Amino acid sequence: MSTVLDNLVSQPYKHGFVTDIESESAPKGLSEDTIRMISAKKNEPEWLLEFRLQAYRHWLTMTEPQWPNVHYPKIDFQAISYYAAPKPKLKKSMDEVDPELLKTFEKLGVPMHERAALAGVAVDVIFDSVSVTTTYKEKLAEVGIIFGSISDAVRDHPELVRKYMGSVVPVGDNYYAALNSAVFTDGSFCFIPKGVKCPMELSTYFRINTQDSGQFERTLIIAEEGAQVSYLEGCTAPKFDTNQLHAAVVELVALDNADIKYSTVQNWYAGDENGVGGIYNFVTKRGLCKGHNSKISWTQVETGSAITWKYPSCVLLGDNSIGEFYSVALTNHRQQADTGTKMIHIGKNTKSTIISKGISAGQSNNSYRGLVKIGPRAEGARNFSQCDSMLIGTQCGANTFPYIQVQNPTAKVEHEATTSKIGEDQLFYFQSRGIPTEEAVSMIINGFCKDVFQQLPMEFAVEATKLLGLKLEGSVG
Amino acid sequence: MIVKAASHPAAHPYVASLLAGSTAVAKSPAAWLDARRAAALERANALAVPTTRDEEWRFTDLTPLTKLQFQPVSAAGNVSAADIAAYAVTEAAVRLVFVDGIYAPTLSRRGALPAGITVELLEVAIKSHGALIEPHLAQLVNNDKDLFASLNTAFLQHGVFIHAAKNAALKAPIHLLFVVTRKGAAAYPRCLIVTDTGSEITVIEDYVALGGEAYLTNAVTEVVVAPNASVRHIKLQRESDQAFHIGTCAATLAKDARYLAHAVTFGARLSRNNLTVTQQGEGAHAQIDGIALIGGRQLADTHTLMDHTQPNGTCVQSHKTIVGGAGHAVFNGKVFVRPGAQLTDSSQQSRNLLLSDKAHVDTKPQLEIFADDVKCAHGATVGQLDAEHLFYLKSRGLPEAQARNLLTYAFGAEIIDRIPVPSLVAQLEKSVMARTEASV
Repeated sequence: MSTVLDNLVSQPYKHGFVTDIESESAPKGLSEDTIRMISAKKNEPEWLLEFRLQAYRHWLTMTEPQWPNVHYPKIDFQAISYYAAPKPKLKKSMDEVDPELLKTFEKLGVPMHERAALAGVAVDVIFDSVSVTTTYKEKLAEVGIIFGSISDAVRDHPELVRKYMGSVVPVGDNYYAALNSAVFTDGSFCFIPKGVKCPMELSTYFRINTQDSGQFERTLIIAEEGAQVSYLEGCTAPKFDTNQLHAAVVELVALDNADIKYSTVQNWYAGDENGVGGIYNFVTKRGLCKGHNSKISWTQVETGSAITWKYPSCVLLGDNSIGEFYSVALTNHRQQADTGTKMIHIGKNTKSTIISKGISAGQSNNSYRGLVKIGPRAEGARNFSQCDSMLIGTQCGANTFPYIQVQNPTAKVEHEATTSKIGEDQLFYFQSRGIPTEEAVSMIINGFCKDVFQQLPMEFAVEATKLLGLKLEGSVG
Repeated sequence: MIVKAASHPAAHPYVASLLAGSTAVAKSPAAWLDARRAAALERANALAVPTTRDEEWRFTDLTPLTKLQFQPVSAAGNVSAADIAAYAVTEAAVRLVFVDGIYAPTLSRRGALPAGITVELLEVAIKSHGALIEPHLAQLVNNDKDLFASLNTAFLQHGVFIHAAKNAALKAPIHLLFVVTRKGAAAYPRCLIVTDTGSEITVIEDYVALGGEAYLTNAVTEVVVAPNASVRHIKLQRESDQAFHIGTCAATLAKDARYLAHAVTFGARLSRNNLTVTQQGEGAHAQIDGIALIGGRQLADTHTLMDHTQPNGTCVQSHKTIVGGAGHAVFNGKVFVRPGAQLTDSSQQSRNLLLSDKAHVDTKPQLEIFADDVKCAHGATVGQLDAEHLFYLKSRGLPEAQARNLLTYAFGAEIIDRIPVPSLVAQLEKSVMARTEASV
C-alpha cells in the first residue's frame, strides 16, 4: 500500500515555471532610502510615506517571532529585493499587456480576459510586486464597487485607504506585519458601498516570479452597512532553489450587517522533496466585524509554501457578529505549516466556528494553533472548534495547540480534536467494492475535507479537490 | 558541614533571596547527592523567575510570589494531634507527618508493613537504600530549565522514600501529610517512589495548612513504575488561601506499568501543579485525573505532559475546574506521541465551569503527534451551569441555590468519586459542598 500512497503524494509542482519577462527590480537591501524609493516610484502621498517609515522604525525595534513550531535558517532581510516590477510598464488595456505575462496566467489557468467572462469572475492580478491588470472594473463601478490595485486606490481614493489601512492590523502588530507596512508594494483594494451585494466573485491572483525578490502585498476590503462580497485569492510561484519571502497583510472591515467571505487557495512553491527552496509564507490576515450582525468568513486551502505561518483572525467587536474559519492545510515532504485562527469575542452574542483539517505526509510537520478569547463583556458568546488531523506515513508530525481564554461565565466554548490515519479497513472496504487504492485514498481525503470544501465557491472547490489529489500523489500508503 | 556556595551569584535577585537559606543544608553521607545538589544550585543560580512572556507561564503571573520573602525554618511550629485530626485517613497503613518541612515523629504513625514495602525518611534511606535511590533521585525531573525543580533539589534534605519490592503489594494507602504553620516559611518536600516488577502501592500526598498564613511549598516527587507494577498517586493540595504552592511530579512507566494519578486542588493563593508522565516501555497505561475548585482571588494552574515514546501505550486524562469569585484556572495539557509510538490511544478532556462574572479560565490542550497509527483526541469546554438542568431541579422544588450547589457538586464528584479511599472521598465531598455553598 505504501508505494501507491507514495506515488500519490509526490506530484511535481506544475506551476514551477519562470516567465522570462524583463523586470525592474530595486537593489537588494532595506533602509529608509529603499522605502523612500518605493514610495517615490509609486508617486505616493506624504502620509503614506510617513506610514511606511513609522512601520519601518518600529520594525527595527522588533525581533522575529520564535514561538511558531517551524524551523528555518535566519532570514537575511538585506538580501531581498523589495521591489520588482514587470517591465515595460503596462498600459491600461488588456490588449497591451505583455503576451508573455498572459501566457503565464494561461498556464496557471487564471480565468482572465474572455475566460473571465465565462467564469464570471473579476480578477486582479499581482505579478511580483505590481498589479498587472484588473478585469471587469467598469462593470463593478456601475454599482459603486471599487476593485483594483491598492496603488490605484491610493491615487484615486486616498481618503478611504487612509481611513482604513492599518485600522485592523496596526503598523506595529507583529514583526512581519510591520515589515509589510514598511515595504508593501501592491495588492488589492475593494470597497463595497452601503447596501450593495457584489454581483460576482472577486478574485486576485498572486505570483512571485523573480528570484531573490520578496512579495509584500497588502489587501484591504471594506464592506459598508449591509454590503456583501465574496473574494477569492490564489497564489503560485516558480521553482527556485533559494527561499523567497512572502509577507502579506490582509485587512477586512465589515460594518453593520455586512458580510465578507474570503477564500484562499495557496499553492506557493513548496520546495523540492529535500526541502530545498520554496516560499516562506508569513502572512497576517485579520478581519474586523466592526458593526452589529456583521460576518466574516475565512476559508483557506493551504497546500504550498515551504513554511506557512498564518492565522486568519476575526475580531468580533459588533454585537451578534459572526466569525468563521474553515481550513484545509496539507503538508508533504519537508513542508512546515503553523496555521490556525484567532477568534476574539468582544461584543455580545458573538459566534464563531472553527473547522480545521490538517493532513501531513512525508516528513512534514503540520500544526494547528488557534486562540478563542472571550472578553469580559462578551455576554452569550459561543464558539465551536473542531480540529482534525490526518497522518500519512510514519515520519510526519501533526500538532494541535488551541488556546482557550474565557472571561465571561455566560460564554460557551467547545473544542474537539482528533487524529487519525487512513485505515486499512477503510481501504479494504473500498477495494472490496472494486475501487483501486489510489482512488480510495483520494475519496477518503476528500471526505475528510468535505466540511471545508463545501464553503468554497464552486470553481475553487473543484480546483482545491484537484490540487489536493495532485499534492498527495505518491505519498499515501 | 555546609554545601559550598555556587561559583557565581544568582543572576536573578529574587532567586538569590530564595537560595540564601541553601547554605544551611547539611552535607549528605553520599557524595553523589552533594554533587547533584551543587549542580542544581548552579542551575538555579543561572535561571530567572519565569514571567508571563515564557510560554509555560503565559497565564500565571508569579509577581505576587516575588513580592514576599520565604526561607526554610530551622525549627518546626507546634502542632498537636488534634490539630490535624480532620485530615486523618483511616484506611492508611502508615502516616508520615512533616511540619514546616521537618519530620514530626510524634504525629506520625508507623506500623508494621507487609514484606517488601519500605516507607522511610529520605535522609535515613540514603544510607540504608542508597543503591535503590541513586539511579533515580533528581534524575527524573527536569532540573535544567525548571527553576522550581532546581530549587527543590538544591534544598534536598527532608522527604520520603517509598519502595515496593518485586510482587509486593500494599492495598492500604501510604499517607504523607505536609503541614505548614509559619508565615514566611519555605518548605521543600521531596518524595521518591520506586517500585519493582509486579508490585502495587497507593500513595497520598497531602498538603495542608493550619491558619491562613502566606508561605511557599515547593514540592518535587519522582515516581518509577516498574514493568507490570501499579502506582496510584493521589495528590491533595489544601494549602492556606494565602499560600504559594508549586508542585512538580515526574513519573516514568516501564512495560505494562500502570500509573493512576488523582490531583485535587482546593487551596493556595497561587498554585502550579506540573505532572510529566513518560511512558518508557510498551503497553503502559496512565490515568490522569484532576479537579481544581477555586474562588476568591485564587489562581490554580495545572500543566501535564503525557509523553508516549513506545508503542501500545494508553492514557485517559480528564481535568475539571470549577471557578468562582475572581478565581483564575489554567490548564495546559500536552500529549506527545513520539515517532514509533504506534497504536497509542490517548485522550484528554478539559472541562471548565465558570460560576461568576469575574472568574476566568485559560485552557490549552495540546497534541503533538509524530506517529501515524494512533488514536488521539482531546476536547475542551468552558461554560456555566446548564439552564435546563437548573430548571429541572427547580421544577422538582429545589431552591435555586441548592439546585446550583447540587449541579456544581455533581460536576466535580465525577473526578473525586474515582479515588478509591472512602474516608478521603468523604472529606473531599464535604469540602466541595462547603466551598460551592460559599461561592454561590
